[in-house]
Amino acid sequence: MKIIIGSDKKGWALKNLIKEYLKTNNIIVEDVSIEGDNNFVEASKKVVAGVLENVDENKGIIIDEYGVGPFMVAAKHKYIICAELNDEHSAKMTRDHNNANVITIGSGIVGDAVAKQICYRFATAAYAAGRHQIRVDMLNKMC
Amino acid sequence: MKIAIGCDHIVTDIKNKIKNYLEDKGFEVMDCGTYDFERTHYPIYGKKVAENVVTKQADMGIVICGTGVGITNAAQKVKGTRVALVGDVASAIYAKKELNCNILGLGGRVIGMGMLEDIIDAYLHTSHKPTKENEQLIKQIDALIDNDEVIHDEHFFDEYLEKWERGEYHD
Repeated sequence: MKIIIGSDKKGWALKNLIKEYLKTNNIIVEDVSIEGDNNFVEASKKVVAGVLENVDENKGIIIDEYGVGPFMVAAKHKYIICAELNDEHSAKMTRDHNNANVITIGSGIVGDAVAKQICYRFATAAYAAGRHQIRVDMLNKMC
Repeated sequence: MKIAIGCDHIVTDIKNKIKNYLEDKGFEVMDCGTYDFERTHYPIYGKKVAENVVTKQADMGIVICGTGVGITNAAQKVKGTRVALVGDVASAIYAKKELNCNILGLGGRVIGMGMLEDIIDAYLHTSHKPTKENEQLIKQIDALIDNDEVIHDEHFFDEYLEKWERGEYHD
């Protein structure tokens, strides 16, 4: 499992903090926005491309000021299930129930400590499958 | 203004409360289901709300499930939607003002009624303010999905529902 992480300029500092935090927890992280991209569309497309290279293994984290724009971009890709997150509970639940493979966070919305918890939970929580798989199959047929 | 609203079986009570809240404020609410607590599947209702919004049967949509993630992904995967999954007022205002968000997604098990109402109010009181920059971003978002065959195809999910009925999805 590898985390592909990207951001625009406003999400750049939080992106770097998350990258280092995940690395110290022995999670492999690939940064596709070393300098910070010009806008959320650019950053999101790069992260999505990295996740889709190995959709069964890779996961993505996209950060801009609000997390709203990256959520719109990522979830409109086939085989991407994306969660725009503010809280730690949803970070765990969306792996467990939705098999989400990308999350977005707003650097202007979520503080550093909560952002770290969200990303750590997303990176480590498992998908429960079972009855939840019908909904994931439905989503994956849609676009 | 007509608002399409949809949910899964986990938060039907919350959906009903929001429906009443909006009707009391004078909005017309199109309830796309689900209508009870019997186990069902959020993509059905996310798709229904999205279809009604993009075909202009409703002016905007609200979708709710436990975290909001599942149902917003279904709505997001319909051409023409711009869905935001928000837990705070600032994001709701940004989504409408900058990206002309047409469907608001909410986590019914994550945020309380007070915030749910506050977020909806903030969204409804905000107007989209087009700029050269945000119009370009919206154009790029709208160009991501070409296929509109899912819209109003009531049998789109049949293959999976049949598999469910056969008991092939189990914990």
